[in-house]
Amino acid sequence: MNLEKVIFGFFILLALTLNFGFFIGDIDNPHHHHAYELYVAIVVNLIATVLKFGDRTHIGAIHLATSLVADLQLIAAAILWAAAGANGDDPSVIVSVVSLSGGALLANITSVVLLIAETIQIKR
Amino acid sequence: MNNILFLILRRMRLPIIAVIVSYTIAVAGMSLMPGVDPDGQPWRLSIFEAFYVISYTATTIGFGEVPFPYSTAQRMWMSFSIYLTVIPWFYAIGKIITLFQDPGLRQAFTTSRFAREVNHLMEPFYIVCGYGETGSLLVRALDKNEVRVVVIELEQERINELELEDYQFDIPNLCADAKLPETLLRAGLKNPMCQGVAALTNDDHANLAIAVAVKLISPELRVLGRAETEQTASNMASFGTDHIINPYTIFGDHLAMEVHAIGTYLLHEWLTGVPGESLKSPICPPIGKWIVCGYGRFGRSVVQNLELEHISTTIIEADPERTGCKECIVGNGTEKETLQQAGVHDAVGIVAGTNDDINNLSIVMTAREMNPDLFVVLRKNKRFNAALFEHFKADITMEPSDIIAHECLANMISPLLAQFLSLVRLQTNVWANSLIQRLVETVGENVPETWAISITQENTPALFHMLAHEPVTLADILRNPNHREASLAIVPLMILRNHQPLLLPEADIALERGDRILFCGHDNAKSTTTYALSDFKTMRYMLHDQQLADSWLWRQIKRRKSANNVRT
Repeated sequence: MNLEKVIFGFFILLALTLNFGFFIGDIDNPHHHHAYELYVAIVVNLIATVLKFGDRTHIGAIHLATSLVADLQLIAAAILWAAAGANGDDPSVIVSVVSLSGGALLANITSVVLLIAETIQIKR
Repeated sequence: MNNILFLILRRMRLPIIAVIVSYTIAVAGMSLMPGVDPDGQPWRLSIFEAFYVISYTATTIGFGEVPFPYSTAQRMWMSFSIYLTVIPWFYAIGKIITLFQDPGLRQAFTTSRFAREVNHLMEPFYIVCGYGETGSLLVRALDKNEVRVVVIELEQERINELELEDYQFDIPNLCADAKLPETLLRAGLKNPMCQGVAALTNDDHANLAIAVAVKLISPELRVLGRAETEQTASNMASFGTDHIINPYTIFGDHLAMEVHAIGTYLLHEWLTGVPGESLKSPICPPIGKWIVCGYGRFGRSVVQNLELEHISTTIIEADPERTGCKECIVGNGTEKETLQQAGVHDAVGIVAGTNDDINNLSIVMTAREMNPDLFVVLRKNKRFNAALFEHFKADITMEPSDIIAHECLANMISPLLAQFLSLVRLQTNVWANSLIQRLVETVGENVPETWAISITQENTPALFHMLAHEPVTLADILRNPNHREASLAIVPLMILRNHQPLLLPEADIALERGDRILFCGHDNAKSTTTYALSDFKTMRYMLHDQQLADSWLWRQIKRRKSANNVRT
């Protein structure tokens, strides 16, 4: 067992699960989507991105790309929410925020699929 | 470049994660701390506001407490956050700075920049390994001759010297060991523009390694190898090194040339010098009895060559057994007794050729005291003794670097030049003197430029095209494109036609396609002819005194005019 792989897998999966947790629920209901969940999802995604730095393989490059996509979408969602300020609970705002996080969710799923594919390739 | 980016990213992983984690904790805590707004209502910072506050605090900018004064709980958390975030932040910055100062990374940067520069060279170039005394001399001369060079040198100090030097071209340089094939590959060994490699380091073994590597990797490239021992020279010859340069052998050879054909020697020096430099007038060594001190590599070559010229020599050698000297006077040559014994009073010349500069100077100083008319040949070994040698003013000072650089130039400027020089050796001294006379009259007393052209579609399209329709003589192409009655200050040295060399061709010789011509002249004339021979309009003016119209319309009008003229 390799500690590096454990941490790597942990953060990638956690990024997906947190993202999913934020995304799930009625798309226009602010009570189903908590700001702190988005915050933690962003942080974990950032850490997952940094962990992917410096891998020169092809699969490593795709890994990094998916993470960057997820970061971009989640940060865009956070900026949108913060910019809305007091109107943050309006359905029109919350719909955009959640749909952006939905995009990030897809990227995170890709990332996990890559992780699984990579794991299956290892024959030992 | 890609590798460097990955290296930086990989090394920055830990500091970046530390920054992210500390921010996370600080921002989350800040947004949870209870506060009170001016109206006395409970109030908390939003996540975004907390991020804003922590960002300016962590980077030590510090705007104060916004939007309202904080509660005690918020202030406590703030103090904690300051220490929590500032430390990882400085750790990350420190790491970046260390990373850029890392010798490994800097080496990676310079190496990749060097490789890029070499790749961007779009002209034929030579790789020069070793930028010592010899290398710098050669690079300067090649630069003046508009030949591009790439330099590899082991010592950073000399690379710094190169960077301070004022060259007309940008010279890609790398501080690396040229013995490693990887270094040679980076320097463009496989680049199609690479013309050859000059191995000029002061280490014979390194030169050998370079020659082997080049001959294995790119056998078609020309290799010029410096070899100071017989062993290395024969080793280099065994696998086909194109030019093996042994400064001692060459010096002996030149000395012999000076004795019996000073004109030939002068011509040789002239055509391989740095363009623009003035040439010192040579002194003809006298014929008579010579004393040679030191019978090493240098002494042996001198004695052999002097004997070929039927000059009798007396050898003084400190260690006759080791050097294999049969008839000699044992001694250093620095003492009066030894010199007396060798017959310094009735000798005409003395050669101080030991491998110790101070001994050499001591020998010639003593000898001159005893016989002031002596012709002195002095061997210089170390370059830091240059000042001493300048003061002594020997008749000939043998400097290995100078000799090697000249020899390399002869082969690198153009293969035609090397061929020409070898043919010059077969001519008489009178012939050489008359050529020198002609060169001085045409190009002046400074070292001229020497260059070759070949009449091909690529190099001289205009001339190549003209030759299909009409005969063109050598005099025609040497006309001045600004004023066709005058001719350019150029001396054609040789024409190579079907591998047959023709020395000093007459002006009325008809040119043929495929001819290669070696010219010698001022650098202005060089650029002028190079341009003229590839420009149709200029060529037409030079040959027929016709100004060709630029546009199609004018050409039609001109044609009609001339037709009218014929009619009337």
